Amino acid sequence: MSLRRLNLLGLATAIGLVAIWQALVASGLVTVAYLPTPLGIARALGSLIAGGELAKYGGHTLWVTLLAWAIASVIGLIFGLLLGCFSTVWRYSMATVELLRSMPSVAFVPVSLLIFGFTAKMEIALAIYIAQWLVLVNTIDGIRSVSPQLLEVAKMLRMPWLERTRKIILPAAMPVTLVGLRLGLSVSLILAVVSEMIGNPAGLGYQLVYEQGALQTNRMFAYLVIIGAIGVVLNAALVQLTRAIPGTERRVGGAKQ
Amino acid sequence: MSSVPLRRLAPPRTRRRRSSATPPLRGILPLAVALALWQIFGSDQSVFYPRPSSWWHALATLNDSGVLWSAIRSTLVTLLLAMAVATAIGASLGYLIGRSRLADRSLSPTLEVMRAMPPAAIVPAFLILLGFGRGMSITVVTLASVWPILLNTRTGARSLNVVLLESARSLHLSPLARARKVVLPALLPSIFLGVRVAAPIALVVTLLVEFLVQFYGVGALIASAQRDYLSAKVYGLAVVAGVFGLVLNSLVALLENFALRHHAPNR
Repeated sequence: MSLRRLNLLGLATAIGLVAIWQALVASGLVTVAYLPTPLGIARALGSLIAGGELAKYGGHTLWVTLLAWAIASVIGLIFGLLLGCFSTVWRYSMATVELLRSMPSVAFVPVSLLIFGFTAKMEIALAIYIAQWLVLVNTIDGIRSVSPQLLEVAKMLRMPWLERTRKIILPAAMPVTLVGLRLGLSVSLILAVVSEMIGNPAGLGYQLVYEQGALQTNRMFAYLVIIGAIGVVLNAALVQLTRAIPGTERRVGGAKQ
Repeated sequence: MSSVPLRRLAPPRTRRRRSSATPPLRGILPLAVALALWQIFGSDQSVFYPRPSSWWHALATLNDSGVLWSAIRSTLVTLLLAMAVATAIGASLGYLIGRSRLADRSLSPTLEVMRAMPPAAIVPAFLILLGFGRGMSITVVTLASVWPILLNTRTGARSLNVVLLESARSLHLSPLARARKVVLPALLPSIFLGVRVAAPIALVVTLLVEFLVQFYGVGALIASAQRDYLSAKVYGLAVVAGVFGLVLNSLVALLENFALRHHAPNR
């Protein structure tokens, strides 16, 4: 995480901004229809946790996210290895990958709805489809960015193919690949929420649009906070997990979003 | 003694494999084969997997009724206006925050939280607060796509070359000339890095807003086709949305190439 030292000034500013928001709305200086106050959101959040809505809807979205991410990671890694290691395969399929990858995810929601109906399967299929591109592309990038010197050394040592892959290519490709896995996880969450918003009526995404329709802005913002918090926690957990893997400390930049 | 040929001692002549190299066009082959097989073995009656030729017919029908172009234009206007506003706001705020240590330190936790919010999830909130008009959709798309531009510009502004700024000052350039001739060219790479991340987000949020409002744009067309189970139309419009993605990405790349070639300082 970037905040090693506690940034007191920053924390104070954030709290101050929230306080100003509260004061402006509560005092009636700002009267935007349906604009909630931070206290109201906090109260709604408390009632969602106490009432079991968090566990019920959050549980659904979390389950869909993790399942989709796991499957997407396996698919992405397998095809990433294939495209990364064999340049013939890369030449004859990478343009397809780039083409399909640049299609906006939302456009696939209706397609998934047509095929799977209003089910959790529809959410999972969509999240897998979108998340695996990130894993795939970053795995390929990781493998293809292995320094030529290292490969030269492997050639000099007459390493067999399998050993070269295991001892040189995979460790060197690891950092970028891990970034791909991390991006894949946050995209899985977003896609689960989006497909619940405009597709399968379940989970946190549907609650967002439901409360919007019911004009319950406090509860809606509370769900927004929950979704943001799940995203942050999942990301932090994965970062901590990958720290445990040796040889991945070095920073990587330029991962594909 | 001289058992090692001289060639071996020279640095290896391997071509540096550029990871961002553009893939050759023959890579389209798998997609083309898949679509051809789909066309040959699929049927027009299939609810789930209509043949590609029927997608085309569906789009042609939409085009004949005049709906398609107005929807595409509407989506484009939202997208481009929002991107322009997001770039202007993001770049200027990012520069101001990046140049002031105080502002940077005090605002960065708030900005991190803003960035962490999934852009799509904020859409319903703004539907309530701002209503269903065009102004709302442009505002939401701007808000969703401004963060990558702002944060990248801030990072770029933090490490702005001090010598460059000092020399501009010693040349007594006016603030405007300094911004145009020194600051902007130095920041362009960071700004474009942000724009490249922001563009796909903007497109997704634009379509999502249209999908939820169901009133204008390509997203609304897709939503209504899906509601009526007109699968060929759904597939056809998904392709249109895909073309949007492609065009947007190449547009950003083109702009970036142009701007960096003409204005970026040699580094």
